[in-house]
Amino acid sequence: MLMFISGFFYIIGETLKGLYRNRWMCITSTAVVVVTLFMLGIFMLVNMNLGHITDTVKEQVEIVVYIDDEAQQEALDELRQKLLSHSGIETVTYVSSEEHMARLHRQLGGMLEGYDTELDNPLLASYEIKTVVPESVAVLAEEFKTYPGVSNVFYGQSYVESLFAVTGVVQMVGLALMAGLSITAVFLISHTIKLTVMMRKREISIMKYVGATNWFIRWPFILEGFLMGFVGAVLPLAGLFYLYQFSVEWVSANNLAFLNLLPAQLVIVELATYLVPLGTGLGILGSIFSMGRFLRV
Amino acid sequence: MVEAKNLSMKYEKGGQYALENLNFYINRGEFVFFVGSSGAGKSTLLKLIIREIVPTNGALKIFGRNVGRLPRHRLPYLRRNIGMVFQDFRLMEERTAFDNVAFAMMVTGASRREIRKRVPHVLGLVGLHDKAKARVCDLSGGEMQRVGLARAIANRPAMIIADEPTGNLDPGTTLDIMNLLRGINLRGTTVLVATHNREIVDRFKKRVLYLENGKLVGDEQKGIYAHVH
Repeated sequence: MLMFISGFFYIIGETLKGLYRNRWMCITSTAVVVVTLFMLGIFMLVNMNLGHITDTVKEQVEIVVYIDDEAQQEALDELRQKLLSHSGIETVTYVSSEEHMARLHRQLGGMLEGYDTELDNPLLASYEIKTVVPESVAVLAEEFKTYPGVSNVFYGQSYVESLFAVTGVVQMVGLALMAGLSITAVFLISHTIKLTVMMRKREISIMKYVGATNWFIRWPFILEGFLMGFVGAVLPLAGLFYLYQFSVEWVSANNLAFLNLLPAQLVIVELATYLVPLGTGLGILGSIFSMGRFLRV
Repeated sequence: MVEAKNLSMKYEKGGQYALENLNFYINRGEFVFFVGSSGAGKSTLLKLIIREIVPTNGALKIFGRNVGRLPRHRLPYLRRNIGMVFQDFRLMEERTAFDNVAFAMMVTGASRREIRKRVPHVLGLVGLHDKAKARVCDLSGGEMQRVGLARAIANRPAMIIADEPTGNLDPGTTLDIMNLLRGINLRGTTVLVATHNREIVDRFKKRVLYLENGKLVGDEQKGIYAHVH
């Protein structure tokens, strides 16, 4: 136990001494981690928000089924039944022709003044349908057209299709960039740590000659790698937090409310759960792997 | 203590033997010179003893154990029983003399109290009691090698191995270092020195193993260097 404690203090002491003695190399390595993770973080923020915005838009996509006003009551009942029991539908809302007229009044304001809307209402009643899978609107719309008592089906065809095409491409590109940056980060960080270790290969070989066990040599390096990775992840997180918060405030100050951004706290927590393990993990693994060669003396 | 049986070493398959069919026995407490020109195989032999490399053929027993078969994780414990001294000193130059010696002890799990007591003692033995706090890079070559010696004996090893320990030193300092090694030997530690310094071999009149092209060509008590040729 006593040896364990003295060993523990030895490792902490050696780690701090090692960091101080090789401070420039460590600062360089940490800076590389900071820059790479910062860039990765920016891409993640953009992608997360794009995902959020498209999700919001998707939620607003709906199918409107207009009801034939000359249809028999039987057909209407069947239509209602079919829609209510359909598994691809999340919600069905009935909108009467009066309600449609009222909406039109609200939208157009005084322009319908004097027009007798109660006696001569040309608007059709409809069902407003939200689907379980937003991307399925086109297929379902075709299906609804075959239902009894249906006059017409509308879902903003071209608008919805191009929206899904664009958001799909944007997110794929974002994911590809993030994957690329992650790989770059792995290479950059493990190589700089390798450099840090290489500069100390003499020290490592001396340790081996005086009979140090591999783990005795490794621990301080592992702890150094961990600290470099941790600092390298926390600094860009702090930077990204302030940058992001500034962006959110700027967006709301400039009335760009349609850019529905995620709240800063939420986003940073999610970023942290990715960047902190990535940084520290790379620091530790980078140290272990780059030492392997020098330990075989 | 050190026993070689048909010991051979090749660095590459199909290449030349760096050492070929060596047979010798070194007793506890002996002082032995390995002599021979560069490339004769002296360093290879020392590397085999500390098991930096593994023999191609034959057996090498250190403290009764065949080092060729020693599992890797036992290696540190073998090396703690062998103090090593190098031509290029191999010290951590940015650190103090005290730190360099203390480090060798820390590795073995020695307590702080032991280290604080033992390090000044061994630095005193090599005549550096007043240089404990000096950084190694501020010391002279002779002083650096004394630190190397102090580090080698800090853990009271059964054997000291010195590879050209005076190769980088002037004649006066060389003699100092060799006398220190003799003093260490007189206290019972086995000392093996690889050298091609004719003068010190002739002067110390110890057992000499002559190596030539990887072969053992002579083994003499109180040998002198001239016998190589």
